[in-house]
Amino acid sequence: MKRFLLISLVLFGAVLLSACSGSANTSSWPGLAADDKMAYLANGSSIYAVRLSDGTKAWTYTGKSGTPLFYADPVLTTDGQLLVGSAGRDYELTSLDIATGQKKWAFVAGDRWVAPPLVVGDTVYAANNDGTLYALKLATGDRLWALPISRDLWGAPVTDGKLIFVSSLDHFLYAVDPLEHTIVWKVNLGGSAPGSPVLNSDGTTLFIGSFAKKIFAVDSATGSVRWTADTKDWIWSAPALGGDSLFAADISGNIYSLGAPNGKNAWPTLQPDGPITGSPLVLSGSTSQAGDSILVATESGSLFAFDATGVKMWEVNVGGQIYTSPVAAGELIVVAPLNTDFLLAAVSKDGKLLWKFTGKEK
Amino acid sequence: MWNEFILNPFTNVLLFIYNIIGHDFGIAIILFTILIRAVTWPLNAQQLKGAKVMQELQKDKEWLDIQKKYAKDKEKLASEQMRIYKERGINPFASCLPTLVQFPIIIGLYQSITHALAATPLGLLQLARSIYPAFLNSALLIPLNSRFLWMDLGRPEGIPFPAGFSFAFLPFGFPTLAIIVAATTYLQTKLTMPPSTGGGPTDQSAAMNSMMSIYMPLLLGYFALNFASGLAVYFVTSNVLGIVQYASMGRVNWRNLLPGGDKTLPAKKGAKK
Repeated sequence: MKRFLLISLVLFGAVLLSACSGSANTSSWPGLAADDKMAYLANGSSIYAVRLSDGTKAWTYTGKSGTPLFYADPVLTTDGQLLVGSAGRDYELTSLDIATGQKKWAFVAGDRWVAPPLVVGDTVYAANNDGTLYALKLATGDRLWALPISRDLWGAPVTDGKLIFVSSLDHFLYAVDPLEHTIVWKVNLGGSAPGSPVLNSDGTTLFIGSFAKKIFAVDSATGSVRWTADTKDWIWSAPALGGDSLFAADISGNIYSLGAPNGKNAWPTLQPDGPITGSPLVLSGSTSQAGDSILVATESGSLFAFDATGVKMWEVNVGGQIYTSPVAAGELIVVAPLNTDFLLAAVSKDGKLLWKFTGKEK
Repeated sequence: MWNEFILNPFTNVLLFIYNIIGHDFGIAIILFTILIRAVTWPLNAQQLKGAKVMQELQKDKEWLDIQKKYAKDKEKLASEQMRIYKERGINPFASCLPTLVQFPIIIGLYQSITHALAATPLGLLQLARSIYPAFLNSALLIPLNSRFLWMDLGRPEGIPFPAGFSFAFLPFGFPTLAIIVAATTYLQTKLTMPPSTGGGPTDQSAAMNSMMSIYMPLLLGYFALNFASGLAVYFVTSNVLGIVQYASMGRVNWRNLLPGGDKTLPAKKGAKK
């Protein structure tokens, strides 16, 4: 009897300890991408392709028994691939056939993938948590070159056509020359930058927020800081540009509208109903006659739309907690909440909840 | 509740140590484990004393007599045992209660290490929210420097195999730290194993201890093999401190390391007394 009790105790201890060590460390919010027909959701061990028309599943890709953990936003390529990195122990960046969900190739890096890759022509630029920027052949995933930059590269790389810009949790934004495979400049952001920079339309200025409670406008050619604007809390994701306005949100739930040329406040700061980790989504000339509308998703599970002057147009409570950036998909907006009984929801551009996808559909 | 009273304070103390020693998470884990061990020292000492009293009681003539006399009458046996406890002022739970009190502390310490080694955006957000802003500047602390010796404390440890060698069951390389964890756990279990009461085949506590000395090293070695190496650093530190603590109280039985030592020697000791 005592022997039985002892074995039970050891097993209980094992379960308890594995729960302690496993859960908080390896889960995160889902990654999301869409085209005009399908939404692609990277959620834990599976990637789902979901039809926008009715919220039904087109295909599911599930990796080897629990090894991959997909949380990075998937990236669609013009040649029909879906690229998504795994934050699991496989360290794989996987290419799937967008039509069937079949694996085409995989590239194994030195660590987890948190950042989505950037595709330029026939080259994939992928920033890994091991601090290395990898350049891969789009068709096969073969490594072309690799440049160790720093550590913890969590933001998707962006490019102006000449340089590749990569942010890091190490407090710096880096500019890399893809031809020379060298770092051209780096700029200190005062705190970690898990989100990407966003580039203005003529490619001269990068905008990025950081944990230093600041938004930076950086000259893309030289790395010199043009202006900074203070925020009330950490900026997690990339700001969004709409014309000459820059929109950003912080993890206390404040939304900022700044003039892109000078960083001056355009609105008084708005605070809808909860922390915001995703990027604002700018919809050009949607239902608002005035022009752009700005959408933000909150941890409270709501989606808010404001017009270009900061007046609330609508709000809808989708449910759960939304950390992932909302994504425009054809005539819809798709959101991927966490901690609820569905994985994906579609909302019309006037704020009507249209369907929910649970992942259990056949 | 758990987060407010255990996890968050532990995480903040761990990060405070990390901050003042110059951003070395490995040293911070070791110092934090020492701190927790120091704080729980009185509980450990009480537990050891309680265990010793109970052990001595197992060899007491009156105790052994009632075991034989009322072997078939469990109710009477229990009431007689209670009488002896009362007469001698022994609390039979004196060795268990401190362990129960320590359990949440150990789990909290363990969780705070994994919590601080946030590996995903959600983990980092949770970490950021648990840091007391008046106590620490989280923007300057993050990201934590997780390099320690040859290890990345946020990942399972392994020394890469030479080119051309790979083993599917050891994806991270040769598991040096997991072996050290298993070895120190084995040493701690063996060295701190209480002497057998000499009860022969009926001595169930000796059988349990013997099983623990096999299962615990395997279990903790498995964790060290598969989880963040920061936890393995904690296991090793905790094991070494456990041995030191027992040694300082004169409770380490080095002869247990000898083949058959745990079976024969304690029985002789008991006989002498």
